[in-house]
Amino acid sequence: MPPKVDREKCDGCKAEKESLCEQVCPGDLMHLGEDQKAFCRMPRDCWDCMSCIKACPKGALETRIPYQLGYHVARLIPMMGTNTITWTCIDLNGKVERYQYRNRGSDD
Amino acid sequence: MAQTIPKDFNEIQSEMIETDLLIVGGGNAGCFAAVEAKTKNPSLKVTIMEKAHISRSGATAAGMDAINTYLRTDKGETPESLVKWSRAQVGGGPIREDLALSNAKILNETVDMLEEWGLPFVKDEEGHKQLRGRFDVSIHGEQLKPIMAEKAMEMGAQVLNRVVATNLLMDGDRCIGAMGIGVRDGKFYVIRAKATIVSTGGACGIYKSPTTDYSGAHHQTWMCPFNVGTGYAMGIRAGAEMSSLEQRWVATRTKDFSGPVDTLSVAFGCLITNAKGERVMQVRYADKGGDKAARFYRLNAPMTEWLEGRGPTYVDTTVLSQEDAKDLREDLLNERPSFVLFLASRGHDITKEPVEIYGSDPYIVGGHTGSGYWVDINRMTTTPGLFAAGETAGGNPNKFVGGCGAEGRLAARGAVEYVKNVKLPALDKAQVEKEKERVFAPLLRGPEYDGVTGIEMEERMQRLMDEYAGGIHQFYRMNEERLDHALKNLKMLKDQTKYLYAKDLHELMNALEVIDRLDVAEVLVHHLKYRKETRWPGWQTRMDYPDVDPKLDCFVESRRDQKTGEIQMSTRPYEQIIPGDRTKP
Amino acid sequence: MEKTKAPSKIGLFIFDPGGGLARAVDLGTVVQKLIKMKNVSRCEVIADIWSGFLVSVKEDLKAGNLNRLLWVGRFSPYQEKIIKAELSAEGLNPYLHEWCDVEEQGVGKEGPDRAVQTQKVMMLVQMAVGRARLIEALEPVSLPAVDAVLIIGAGVAGLHAASSLVKLGKRVYLVEKESGVGGKVASLHRLYPRICDPRCGLEFEIEKLRGSNKLELHTLSRVKGLDGGPRNFEVKIEKAPRYVSEERCNGCGKCAEVCPVTIPDDSTSHLPQNPHQSGKKAIHSPTPMAFPSAFVVERRYCPPQCRECVKACPTNSVDLEQTPSDMTLRAGAIIATTGWDPYPLSKVEEYGYGLYPNVISNLEAERLLENPPELKEVGFIQCAGSRDEKHLNYCSSVCCSVSLKQALSLKERLPNSRFSIFYQDIRTPGFDEELYQRVKSLDKVIFIRGLPSTVKPDGENGRLKIRAEDTLSGKEVTLSLDLLVLAGGMAPSGGTGEIAELFNLPRNNFGFFESHLQCHPEESQRAGIYVGGACRGPMNVGQSIESTHRAMVEALQFIDGTFLVEPTHPLVDKTKCDKCKRCMEDCPFSAYYFDSEGFPTPDLARCRQCGNCMGTCPLTAISLRHFTIKQTAAQIQAIKVSSLPKEEPVILAFLCKNDAYHAAREAADSDAVIPANVFFIKVPCAGSVNNALLADALSFGIDGILIAGCKDGQCHSVRGNQLVKTRSGDLADKLKKMMIEPERVRFEHLEIRDSGRYVELVNSYMRDLKAMGPNPFKV
Repeated sequence: MPPKVDREKCDGCKAEKESLCEQVCPGDLMHLGEDQKAFCRMPRDCWDCMSCIKACPKGALETRIPYQLGYHVARLIPMMGTNTITWTCIDLNGKVERYQYRNRGSDD
Repeated sequence: MAQTIPKDFNEIQSEMIETDLLIVGGGNAGCFAAVEAKTKNPSLKVTIMEKAHISRSGATAAGMDAINTYLRTDKGETPESLVKWSRAQVGGGPIREDLALSNAKILNETVDMLEEWGLPFVKDEEGHKQLRGRFDVSIHGEQLKPIMAEKAMEMGAQVLNRVVATNLLMDGDRCIGAMGIGVRDGKFYVIRAKATIVSTGGACGIYKSPTTDYSGAHHQTWMCPFNVGTGYAMGIRAGAEMSSLEQRWVATRTKDFSGPVDTLSVAFGCLITNAKGERVMQVRYADKGGDKAARFYRLNAPMTEWLEGRGPTYVDTTVLSQEDAKDLREDLLNERPSFVLFLASRGHDITKEPVEIYGSDPYIVGGHTGSGYWVDINRMTTTPGLFAAGETAGGNPNKFVGGCGAEGRLAARGAVEYVKNVKLPALDKAQVEKEKERVFAPLLRGPEYDGVTGIEMEERMQRLMDEYAGGIHQFYRMNEERLDHALKNLKMLKDQTKYLYAKDLHELMNALEVIDRLDVAEVLVHHLKYRKETRWPGWQTRMDYPDVDPKLDCFVESRRDQKTGEIQMSTRPYEQIIPGDRTKP
Repeated sequence: MEKTKAPSKIGLFIFDPGGGLARAVDLGTVVQKLIKMKNVSRCEVIADIWSGFLVSVKEDLKAGNLNRLLWVGRFSPYQEKIIKAELSAEGLNPYLHEWCDVEEQGVGKEGPDRAVQTQKVMMLVQMAVGRARLIEALEPVSLPAVDAVLIIGAGVAGLHAASSLVKLGKRVYLVEKESGVGGKVASLHRLYPRICDPRCGLEFEIEKLRGSNKLELHTLSRVKGLDGGPRNFEVKIEKAPRYVSEERCNGCGKCAEVCPVTIPDDSTSHLPQNPHQSGKKAIHSPTPMAFPSAFVVERRYCPPQCRECVKACPTNSVDLEQTPSDMTLRAGAIIATTGWDPYPLSKVEEYGYGLYPNVISNLEAERLLENPPELKEVGFIQCAGSRDEKHLNYCSSVCCSVSLKQALSLKERLPNSRFSIFYQDIRTPGFDEELYQRVKSLDKVIFIRGLPSTVKPDGENGRLKIRAEDTLSGKEVTLSLDLLVLAGGMAPSGGTGEIAELFNLPRNNFGFFESHLQCHPEESQRAGIYVGGACRGPMNVGQSIESTHRAMVEALQFIDGTFLVEPTHPLVDKTKCDKCKRCMEDCPFSAYYFDSEGFPTPDLARCRQCGNCMGTCPLTAISLRHFTIKQTAAQIQAIKVSSLPKEEPVILAFLCKNDAYHAAREAADSDAVIPANVFFIKVPCAGSVNNALLADALSFGIDGILIAGCKDGQCHSVRGNQLVKTRSGDLADKLKKMMIEPERVRFEHLEIRDSGRYVELVNSYMRDLKAMGPNPFKV
């Protein structure tokens, strides 16, 4: 399921050519519209790899499970540090689970 | 943003590039090949042609939670023990033990390079890489792809992002580079290279996926759906020899939302169960080794349970403590984060309810099974100047991330030696113009053309392959007549590619992708027809030939006749190097 | 790219000269623990940096036992300089020192718990070690100076400087607000002491400039801004429309012939009989001198829809639709020759200037010299406004000679008229004395020592009645005059004020450019900006030309060679950069350009090293050298939150080095108690803080993050504070989605004097965070 775009937040990366989600999408699916807001041009083709979610500097993108497969609404939000990642998962019932670890290098 | 879409043939701009080594596909194998080539010869010009953006492209885009092959020498593992294990995973082969051994010898070095580049490995108390199976080591691999990509660039490889390869550039029988289209700039790329490594990954989307419902979930596939088999297709069209395509890979995945099952079953010991509560592998496959049975048995087991009336099937996660379950989800976040979201969207507490599993659509992936180019020990294909590594190189299954990286390095070594003695011939303008016409034709037909889109044809082909060439909806089963039907219709589809049209460059890419998939599908069906036996149930199940035929203990090979276009089949013998029972790990 | 290098071997020295630190902190434990840290090769407490200590450090450096030094404690700038200099002689690059002032973080005071303070010192030093491991030797970047000089003001001083520079092959930008060159001097009738026509000398200079391809003359132009830095200035100018093409106009004057509008001529309108009714048209030759030769239109006088000049022009040069244009000029050095303005004599109320038409200034008197009307009695009042604490509290130095010159000229034309000169002292330094002697010897020229107290009309005949006391004779003098000339003083020009403001150049008490009058009279207080001529102070034409030549020689030396840029500039990691262009968009100084491969690259000559590019880069691909993202990440990682009690909030603050940092430092030096769990990192600009670092901090369990930047309008990086406010706001919004209190990321403005507010801020934030409970990522 394609990422849901928060159009208030999305600033098209102020980009001349491509936004970061557009650059990073392995499927060439994210695209900047005439209004400089990102959208997914072929929702069916998204692989849910979440690369765009991680890349978005504005926190404007969120992956959602297609309703055909999962109930409304659960959230999974990555937060990228320099060498760290945290994930916050909020399930259907509002239960929050958090994860944090290094994604590069090692602890001293 | 507005793309540069050429309106007529003369508007198409061409980009001519000359390089020493061209790497088609900047994934795991491609990045390692680039690093190795630049290490061996820093003055070598290395160019990576990348379909997407190298920082997050291909199969490892989302990350990885383990390196599935690493030799814990302190536990007595050796290259030979790995090859033996790998051979057993494919039911005793045939496998290319020469290739597998050479890979295994530089495997640890390759995996250690990843650590040096900054990939975090989980360590055990003694400071060794933490094992989660016999050969798998745990990682926090969310950044795996960007780490590899940055290293390749740091070493000085030139990267052409968003350039999709369409065909090899040939000088007679020799490969002298590749051609492609820029999906962002709309340009035609001609890259002349003294040597070319094809590392485009495997082929996904030949078959219909079990979650396809034409809504938002067409790409609930195990393999990266953007890996469409272009590497194989280009070789097939250029007359290179393909090996063992009939050894398809099917994965066991979590049902409805393709999540990794190995993480659950191998790493966390959650066993496969069926509707009756039976431990499937122990009860049904005891004679094959139970939970340690060859991989295809394990992968085929869930679907067999469904077929035989014992579905649904599960991995029993209820054995997990809450802490284990959280650790498990953390592993999943490293590889398939959206699966964690999927569980959350169902409010699924895996310690209370098991996770349902199901089969996947079949794939051609030479990093997992033996499908791919026939290569020599230097990873050169039967086409001089063309090397293959990773999923594209055949004969050497169970490479996975570490092995594909190692093979990228071996291919680079072969290529670096090869370029020492070759010169680039003059450009064959006719060949280039012909290819340019071919690839831009769907776009130049215009958006109003009364024809077929790439997506439409893809869905038609996927359904055909699913039903007639042993897809998941047929429980991977096939017979001669169905395969003939598939072949007949594949020929029709191939002929109909002349009606493909595209509105923009993305659709043009879709159209070219289906052409590539059709070429792979056609050769695949020939392979499936040739192996009149059932050697690897699930991966290759012939209902009309249910048993193993000892005469077919060999490699099945194919090559497209460059004059007639016919697929010619042949065999090559298996050579055992590591002694012992081939079916025992 | 980082090359493989020897592992860091850090010498860690805790400087405790008075033993104050040891009283507050258990230094023994600190040293014991630190010596065990990875990469720490030597660790000790030192009381002074002499008595053999530096010798032993030198030996360790030489032997390869140490390759980086971490100095803990407070060192004076002087001590830092000495240490760096001493050890650089031993080959230690100045960037391989790391300074960790624990006192500025609020440690070292007696009173607070010793264990708590000890722990804080440990944490701070561990942070510094994390950073010190990653610091690298850096060398300044040498860039060639821009081989051009920009001169502001094309008066006599500017023209002389320009012609000499052009002759020496330098590119010169000459910026003049009038339509032509020449300035004040062009409006003079005669120059003393040789009593010659000033236009002759000016023409001589103009001739040298005419046709030079090295000169770019911008008339009708004003300086609007200054960017870049010494040897690489970027001066923004705004050019008012001329309405006539400088390239095409041949100066034939056919336009002026048909122009229906005669306009007042500022230079003559004030004179009593107005003998030079110039007949100046709305389209006319440039003033004061016709260089450039192209005519100029004073559009405000044009009748609506009139196109006579357009029609008459044979070269099609007139374009009445021209609009103002902006441009940026790049120069290695700047010479301001903004000249002087006559002191406004209407302020000297007692002399009736402005009230009576026959009271004129000495500048206006120049116009009468050539062809004066019949005048029987003429008076001169010296020091009109000068040497007067109510007006100009200095001697304008030229007015005596000017009045003498004017009297001499007038006397030639009006031999029977009487001239009375009222003065305090006649000041004719040097050879001007000869002029004085000549005038004194003339018949009917009377010198009266004493300034008139009043000037009034003498009945209805238009004459003036003037009364003064001759202080030499003690007698009162009363005269009836036809004309009174006020020897007005030289005041700083309006242009000088504008440039001083724009360039941030100090002015002296009198409003002229400040400089070191004895040693470096032509050096302004900013490197590469020179001041020549009467913008420095009152002087005559000859002195002004001398001055501008000195300025020119200074400028020449300055642009000869290279300039050094601090090596702490941004570096773009091309393996990470996605060319998204955000750095380019957000750079407050527009320093970024695309290189040949399409990567954004900072122009080091323009870059101010504020780090906003580093702050904004979504891929953390940009780092300021010596203040890299990795170095800061290592500092953050070293805050071992898990070693502190979970319920005690931990604050990490990023303080802008310009203002907020000083507020915090002052707070630490005061009696105020800074909560122990506040750790700050000094940053080049609040805008240099990247969200990834905030994410790191939050993921390590830091409870609250404070980013403090300057007040709006005071940000040294123009809008760095706004940029980080928006970005940290985005992160706060994300936290909300993650069901974490957005207040855990907080942005504040802090001024340099806000030390009290800083203390309140961290204390109230502590309380807020305590109420919130621990960061959910805290282990």
